[in-house]
Amino acid sequence: MISPLLKVTNLSKSYDNIVGCKNISMSLYPGEVLGIVGESGSGKTTLINCLSGNLEPDRGKIIFNINNKETNFLNISESEKRKFIRTDLAFVHQNPRDGLRLNVSAGGNIGEKLMSVGNRHYGNIRSLATKWMDKVEIDKSRIDDLPITFSGGMLQRLQIAKNLITSPNVIFMDEPTGGLDVSVQARVLDLIRSLVNELNLTVIIVSHDLAVIRLLADKMIVMKNGTVIESGLSDQVLEDPQQEYTQLLVSSVLHV
Amino acid sequence: MIEVKKVNKSFTLFNQNNAKITVFKNLNFEVNPGEIVALKGPSGIGKSSILKMIYGSYIIDKGAIIINNKNIATLSAQEILKLRKTSIGYVSQFLKVIPRISALDVIMEPLLNSGDNKNNAYKKSIKLLKDLNIEKNLWHLSPLTFSGGEQQRINIARGFIKDLPYLLLDEPTASLDSRNRDIIINLIKAKSNRGVSIIGIFHDEYSRKKLNVREIDLNIETKH
Repeated sequence: MISPLLKVTNLSKSYDNIVGCKNISMSLYPGEVLGIVGESGSGKTTLINCLSGNLEPDRGKIIFNINNKETNFLNISESEKRKFIRTDLAFVHQNPRDGLRLNVSAGGNIGEKLMSVGNRHYGNIRSLATKWMDKVEIDKSRIDDLPITFSGGMLQRLQIAKNLITSPNVIFMDEPTGGLDVSVQARVLDLIRSLVNELNLTVIIVSHDLAVIRLLADKMIVMKNGTVIESGLSDQVLEDPQQEYTQLLVSSVLHV
Repeated sequence: MIEVKKVNKSFTLFNQNNAKITVFKNLNFEVNPGEIVALKGPSGIGKSSILKMIYGSYIIDKGAIIINNKNIATLSAQEILKLRKTSIGYVSQFLKVIPRISALDVIMEPLLNSGDNKNNAYKKSIKLLKDLNIEKNLWHLSPLTFSGGEQQRINIARGFIKDLPYLLLDEPTASLDSRNRDIIINLIKAKSNRGVSIIGIFHDEYSRKKLNVREIDLNIETKH
């Protein structure tokens, strides 16, 4: 039996007296896509911010096991942690403007990420950046353009390219299609799904859109008031939900 | 072999006055390699539910469902994912795909996901599309724009493309004209001849006869 790539035990985080997330335990195996759903304020974002190193949890354990090397994420030095986040993790924000530098060219945004993990050869960086522009379906001739000239969908695809170019081991996505028009959503979803399949990515994706979870995630957890109330295979949780809240969530979806 | 042993299944609808709907009590049957079992009974009796319990989409209350010596009821999510990938094909009643993905890619996907190379997956998929009588000008289009019968055949192709020992078929011959129905029947027969255990829901007498199925009448099995 292979060991989980990420194992979380009893993770808790509060903001003064307000519970962010409480006693979260879960595991994620290589190549799996885990969906996190729940209403606003249920703790989804707190959880992925803790897992991705953006927030310091109060209690609990986060163990990454990458190539048989265990990293006790909350027990390493700040510099080791920074390096780990840079090389092994990636974070795709809901708003691409939070994950990109808008006054740096598209190619520059991608190249910067490569340089942060040690790439120095300009020619290599540029050719890899070009390849990734193509992979996320952005016209290669736009490589020297500033992202401010891009549409919302293009910006999101650029942010995805920037995050995946360094082959991170775990990718966090916070509502990656949340701010996009429906027609653009489908394209970004399709792109994420084909990249997940092609590169065998391990992904944790937060979304309040159950259709997105159904299409992308193998497994899912449902959060409410900071705790996980239900978890399992995505199709099982969506088709045979065992908890009252999950049933309400599933039955509230409008079908066109 | 698939063994369904003493299975109970109910649904509790918390948001509808906690109504409890019992679907099965003490359900027992098995399917041998090469056998085609047809689930029979009026709509609402739980035919699709049986397929979903075997596939792991529905949680059972009691009992065991044994596939490859593993009890679905006690497997973890990642063990079920693995078992599906290596052993169980499932053709749902309706095709669910994302817009923009071509019919060919929809069919190739299960092969590529299990590590088959692109060239091989392409050849196999093309052959199946031809066998299924899908016109060439449709191969590179999204199946969402197809007719019901064409979507059905793409769905079947996706479920049949891999050589898996177990197949679950939810009305594979519904919404097909007689010619295409015969094509599907022959594909199912070919799977069965290769030793695949098949459980299906077939609405028409014709398909059941042609496939020489063993019928399980849920009216009798679920009388309690």
